[in-house]
Amino acid sequence: MSASAEVSAKIEKLTEIKKHSHPIVAVVVLFGGMFALLVAIGLSISFGAADIKLATVWTAVFQFDPDLTQHQIIREIRMPRVLGAAIVGSCFAVSGALMQGMTRNPLADSGLLGLNAGAAFMLALCFALLPGLPYMYLIMYSFLGAGLGVGIVYGVGSMSRGGLTPMRLVLAGAAVSALLGALSEGIALYFRIGQDLAFWYAGGVSGTKWVHLQIMSPWILVAMIGALILSRSITLLSLGEEVAIGLGQRTKTIKLVGMIIVLILAGAAVSVVGAVGFFGLIVPHLTRFLVGHDYRWIIPCSIVLGGLLVVLADLGARMINPPYETPIGALIALIGVPFFLYLARKGGKEL
Amino acid sequence: MKEKNNKTHTQHRAKTKNLIIIGVLGLLIVVAFMISMNTGFIKLTPLEVIRTLFGLGTEKQHLILFEFRLPRIIIAVLVGMGLAVSGCVLQGISRNALADPGILGINAGAGLAVMLFISFFPSTAATPVFLLPVLAFFGAGVTAVIIYSLAYKRHEGISPMRLLLTGVAVAAGISSAMIVLTLRLSPENYQFVATWLAGSIWGSNWKFVLSLLPWILVLIPFVFSKARVLNVLNLGDLTATGLGASIEKERRILLAAAVGLAGASVSVSGGIGFVGLIGPHLARQLVGSRHQFLIPAAALTGGLLVLVADTLGRWILQPSEIPAGIVVAVIGAPYFLYLLSRLKD
Amino acid sequence: MSAIKVDQVAIGYSNTLIIDDLSVSIPEKKITTIIGPNGCGKSTLLKAISRVLKTKRGAVYLDGRAIHQLETKEVAKKMAILPQSANAPGGLTVFELVSYGRFPHQSGFGSLKKEDYEYIYWAIDVTGLNEFKDRPVEALSGGQRQRVWIAMALAQDTEILILDEPTTYLDLAHQLDILLLLQRLNEEEGRTIVMVLHDLNHASRFSDYMIAMKNGKLVKEGTPEEVMTCPNLQLVFNIEARIATCPFSDNPICLSYQLCQKDR
Repeated sequence: MSASAEVSAKIEKLTEIKKHSHPIVAVVVLFGGMFALLVAIGLSISFGAADIKLATVWTAVFQFDPDLTQHQIIREIRMPRVLGAAIVGSCFAVSGALMQGMTRNPLADSGLLGLNAGAAFMLALCFALLPGLPYMYLIMYSFLGAGLGVGIVYGVGSMSRGGLTPMRLVLAGAAVSALLGALSEGIALYFRIGQDLAFWYAGGVSGTKWVHLQIMSPWILVAMIGALILSRSITLLSLGEEVAIGLGQRTKTIKLVGMIIVLILAGAAVSVVGAVGFFGLIVPHLTRFLVGHDYRWIIPCSIVLGGLLVVLADLGARMINPPYETPIGALIALIGVPFFLYLARKGGKEL
Repeated sequence: MKEKNNKTHTQHRAKTKNLIIIGVLGLLIVVAFMISMNTGFIKLTPLEVIRTLFGLGTEKQHLILFEFRLPRIIIAVLVGMGLAVSGCVLQGISRNALADPGILGINAGAGLAVMLFISFFPSTAATPVFLLPVLAFFGAGVTAVIIYSLAYKRHEGISPMRLLLTGVAVAAGISSAMIVLTLRLSPENYQFVATWLAGSIWGSNWKFVLSLLPWILVLIPFVFSKARVLNVLNLGDLTATGLGASIEKERRILLAAAVGLAGASVSVSGGIGFVGLIGPHLARQLVGSRHQFLIPAAALTGGLLVLVADTLGRWILQPSEIPAGIVVAVIGAPYFLYLLSRLKD
Repeated sequence: MSAIKVDQVAIGYSNTLIIDDLSVSIPEKKITTIIGPNGCGKSTLLKAISRVLKTKRGAVYLDGRAIHQLETKEVAKKMAILPQSANAPGGLTVFELVSYGRFPHQSGFGSLKKEDYEYIYWAIDVTGLNEFKDRPVEALSGGQRQRVWIAMALAQDTEILILDEPTTYLDLAHQLDILLLLQRLNEEEGRTIVMVLHDLNHASRFSDYMIAMKNGKLVKEGTPEEVMTCPNLQLVFNIEARIATCPFSDNPICLSYQLCQKDR
């Protein structure tokens, strides 16, 4: 009796969430965002050392002429870079949204899982022991490192007697990040490669090639679809573990699948651009601010907004001080920090 | 009547147990101190160390111990104490297990100040080095004030959650500014800054001891005198108000104390942030969460950790050194993970 | 004589007002119960009375003095609060948590004195927690935990006790236990008790004075006989209640109730 009353109370809460999420706004954000993303991609492709008109961008995409240098530049250098930026942004944003929903912690992002620290550690190892490794391998090792970080955090968390509580996950993540961070700091100091690493991170998405996109996209695509399928369950999970179980969710499976998706998305993104951790934190907050608390809207909107923001940040990074590039992470922080401060002032308590 | 005696007896026993734990921690520091005195390029026997301490050693032994090793050891212990107590206070007032001095932007602020200084006055000659702690302290203080005022709202005061979120955001902003600066530094200067950031007890000099000591000597007893207030704040705002704690005022005072402790420590040690996180956690495992015991235990745990880390850092890769901050994380994190896996809830 | 006087207060969070222009007097040495539907501002009123929330207009007077001008520690010696959802930090034992109730009576480093121990043991004893006193609070059941918080408020040894739903999480017997304890404290020691209850029959049986609220407004105040009437309950809860007089205590009791059809 009381159990069913509890469940009905929670269903009430759920309908409340539905009421408070704004589907019309969400649709506007989603389609407006997509349009803006396309425009931003076009602008970003046309901007660069060799000035190219938007019309040329259009023809390069749809009527490609291999004899034209401009078409070559667009196809071989700029397009992969801009698409890479969009993909990376979406990955960070979605993994951040998943993390925040699953842990019910507004401070959660992929960095929390030891993912950033793991990738950075592996990268430091590569720079120290295997200098001159091709870009492709660096990305792969980074991804392995990200997996290592998540593996340790998750392993320690689930080995413990009480199981993997969000609190324990957060603490384990902090400890593993500190450990791996310290190790990579040590390696960087000992081999004197700290600055090289900094340059790598500052490079952002500039080195992205078609090959990388080809390898990455199937995985990312599957993970994104997975995230969309999972979004309903994440909404329930964000109400609390017990509520989700009460509503018939298999929370353990959802969490495991969720973590794997986070690993794929954030791992891919981190290995390409390095730890722009803060980004995964702010986009979900921004999205939630716009479209409410239903993850069925948050996740698709995060994909679009995340992509848009990184494309713009990358464009900005090239525009500020040409021909030099400003580190993209710094630019994201420049936009993100004031916005996040505003959010923290406005609400801050709610997820 | 007899039953009542029994009751006080169990309370008494818990107290004795905690006092013994604190005593053992103190003893361990003494042991670590003796070992650390013996660690270095020139070997001294324990007997020689004791003789020298009482003024009976040779001039060379005297020089090594009193001018090189002793100040460094004292600084390590003081820094550990300062950071751990600061973390203890922050975890208490924010009721968040992840709070540490880094949350208030202390490490980031100090780091940025040092980095700015190095990039505009690239001479790492002897003179500016003495300015570094002052600058670092200044940077830490300014950042803390900025974070506090951004998180402050009229009518509502400061909410711990808002403080944490603001702290994270500001720290993220500062670290990306540091990325930009990093790219402009010359390799030598970069190496210096990186070592500083990794947290090494580089200010091994009596002057630094004297500049750090007053902070520790004043603020730790002060925080200890507020132990009961911290206990009550830990119960949440509603209950704390009900019990008659003026939460807004106490929180502000305690925050200031935490900033003072961490800022002073970081200024001579660089970013040994992790101590502020795990020191209090380890202490809580040992003596429970009453701040009357927690604060001294955290201070001793922190001091012990940094001292051991610094000693190991000097010893492992002799003659080159590993920054203590790295060693702290490498020993501290696995132990912390072990504790975490053993905890029931 | 009133212990607490609420004078034309407006209370709210940031921009929204929950309560606007409410005045009420809490009689001294009596048990007063606030009733009303969810979200009517009961807890908000209690928070204002207990100075946790500042009033936007008007003031709350304790013994004739505005509560916000009094030293908060002095208030804590007169008035204890049991909040609705209290959460203990990990690792505290029952004894330790209850001992925090002595906070306003201590100064300086404040080691517990003989008198403090007496109050703590008394509080643990009357709430029936003797066998649990060295257990960690988080290892107790919800009901036991609730009693620990009540014990803490009792250890504070105040003339006035303010309790926000003290019987939630408790089974029937333990609910009665707590309410009888509060009644005893009121009758034998003359303590003023203010609480929020959802159970109307408990409210009627144990209180001398009742305050009914809806939408941040005071609907009716008075003795249980005056407040527990069909028209009042319809106004407050939108229910059609069947009220009878209890054959044992002569208090009004609500035998059964139906939702009113028209407004739902």
